[in-house]
Amino acid sequence: MELWNHCENPYPFVPAEVLDEASSVRASLPNKYCDPKIAARLYDEIFDEYRLCDDIGLHIVTNEHHSGINNLWAASPVITGIVARLTRNVRILSLGTLVTVRPDPVRIAEEYATIDVLSKGRLEIGFVKSGATEMVSGDANPMRIREREWEAIDLIEKALTTHDGPFSWEGKFFTHPHVNIWPRPYQQPRPEFWAATSDLPTCAELGRRNIVNTLLFGGYDRTRQAFDAYKAARRAAAQPAPGEDRFSYMAFAYVGDTDEEALRIGQKIAWFLTVSIKSAPQFARFQPGAVAPEMAPAAWRAGVSRRPRPTNLDAAVLVGQGQMFAGNPDTVARQIKEFRKRVGGIHHIIMMTRQGLVTHAEAEKSFNLTAKEVLPQLQDLPPIDEDETAWQARREAAAK
Amino acid sequence: MSDRLRAGDIDLEVLRRGGGRPILLVHGVNPVSPKAPFLDLLAEHGEIVAPSHPGFGNSPRADDFDTMYDLVHLYREVLDALPGQVAMVGFSFGGWIAAEVAVSAPAKLDRLVLVDPVGIKLGGREERDIVHFFNTSPSDLNRLAWHDPTKRPAEVYGLGWQANIDDRMSDEAMIALASNWDALAVYAWRPHMYNPQLKQWLRRISVPSLVLWGASDRIVTADYGRAYSALIPGARFAAIDEAGHHPELEQPRVFVELVARFLGQSA
Repeated sequence: MELWNHCENPYPFVPAEVLDEASSVRASLPNKYCDPKIAARLYDEIFDEYRLCDDIGLHIVTNEHHSGINNLWAASPVITGIVARLTRNVRILSLGTLVTVRPDPVRIAEEYATIDVLSKGRLEIGFVKSGATEMVSGDANPMRIREREWEAIDLIEKALTTHDGPFSWEGKFFTHPHVNIWPRPYQQPRPEFWAATSDLPTCAELGRRNIVNTLLFGGYDRTRQAFDAYKAARRAAAQPAPGEDRFSYMAFAYVGDTDEEALRIGQKIAWFLTVSIKSAPQFARFQPGAVAPEMAPAAWRAGVSRRPRPTNLDAAVLVGQGQMFAGNPDTVARQIKEFRKRVGGIHHIIMMTRQGLVTHAEAEKSFNLTAKEVLPQLQDLPPIDEDETAWQARREAAAK
Repeated sequence: MSDRLRAGDIDLEVLRRGGGRPILLVHGVNPVSPKAPFLDLLAEHGEIVAPSHPGFGNSPRADDFDTMYDLVHLYREVLDALPGQVAMVGFSFGGWIAAEVAVSAPAKLDRLVLVDPVGIKLGGREERDIVHFFNTSPSDLNRLAWHDPTKRPAEVYGLGWQANIDDRMSDEAMIALASNWDALAVYAWRPHMYNPQLKQWLRRISVPSLVLWGASDRIVTADYGRAYSALIPGARFAAIDEAGHHPELEQPRVFVELVARFLGQSA
């Protein structure tokens, strides 16, 4: 298996009373609450963490969110380009720039091709559908974003793989009469594509296209369903069964000397769920396209009853749900192996460790333990026995 | 099954009431509600024909039907499908559609009424003429759109409808509101609620026109309305007191009186 480090570069320094008062901590919180001197220190620390990852063999994931406390990576290609130059060895996944917000996929292809060349072929390109506050921060129409995402992916792929251009594109959402990017990518025919989704029809389409499917915090069952949809779509299309390298999962993670230490520090990660996703209703359940109309009654009735936001997510509970890997190195290796078995095989685990209130020193300690004591336990694993996992799934279903 | 209207090959849900000369209502954020109190009053002056735009209510929207351009040509087809000369009344977002249709000078149109329409850009680049429909909190929308939100007719929804959702509402009503909101965003997310070119062509409107405005409208103010009206040759402007963005819902009698008087005048 391969392990990846993903840090969103959160900014947990806004006074609690400001956050409590704000209707949303994304999109509309004024940037006077972001001290650029603190931001500069965060960038330094996290780029140092990425250099450490490069030395010890943890791959690196970047992403972007906008206008909020959860993420100071405003442009994934910018950050990925820096990481490409700071590192020498590991692979770098941009997951990703917001293709449904940005007006010209050709520029995105050009940026990624540039990064692929300057990293000498270490780039992987990830796609996210995006939505919610991002549509507001980027003034992008929140309707039909899945269709827009697929058209952007198609155009980016064609721009990366066409070498006798220019070619013309007159699509539904994007037009460009003269596509001819320089440089062309280092990797041929193109860098690996990834996409983050748990939407089953989209997982099926990823399967048919052989794109790496990653889930974010989906837990055991949802992840298993997504991967099963991917595999079923390939079977139905008479395509070869996918290898485990087509599957990825992002979870919160902390590796400590002891289980106790890991859960204590892991608890600081829960800030992501308890604080950093607070969003006003117009950016969430009432945003056009946020819920399919037939799902609106369920979504809105839950809102009407003002269900309290989670404020006490216990790290141990997150571990139990398969949303966090935390413990001493042996514990975490066991958790990941168990996860792999329960989802029917997986090759990539993306660990979100420097999250919430976790410090630079704490993050580096976890990375070192991960690389030295967890990663070796995840090599040369025996193939997943589908019969055994199917039997286990049946047993669990019967127990419910 | 709702009443239907065919315009070319497009099938629309339509609400009809009364008889006589057609009065075409072009709706705003939600289709004209059969429970709106102004309907019966206005139906004394002609046959109300109130279609739901594609994507709203029970009117299907084809994938490629997704711009103001499509709506304008659709409503030109609707005019063609109605008997005789037609008075067109456009509300809010539908006022924008009606203004665009009127600029195209269709032969069947003989009267235009715009009710708190959006559709044009008047202020400077850092001034917002129109409160953002989608990015504004439900409670603010509800406050800004109504003179007195507590006097909204039961089960009739305008801007700020999100603030009026309660657990007693039927699933069907919620699904309809969600569909309408989605369709509105398809047509009008960006540029938000206006066509930058429309202002310079309003001079092409050649039918008698009345611009009505809720004096308390803070989604688009009466000052915007006066300036809008001044761009339409010969248009009359009237403010309706104690009404916000939906004067037809807050002051149905005054609204119908003004419209009826206007329709009764000779050109």
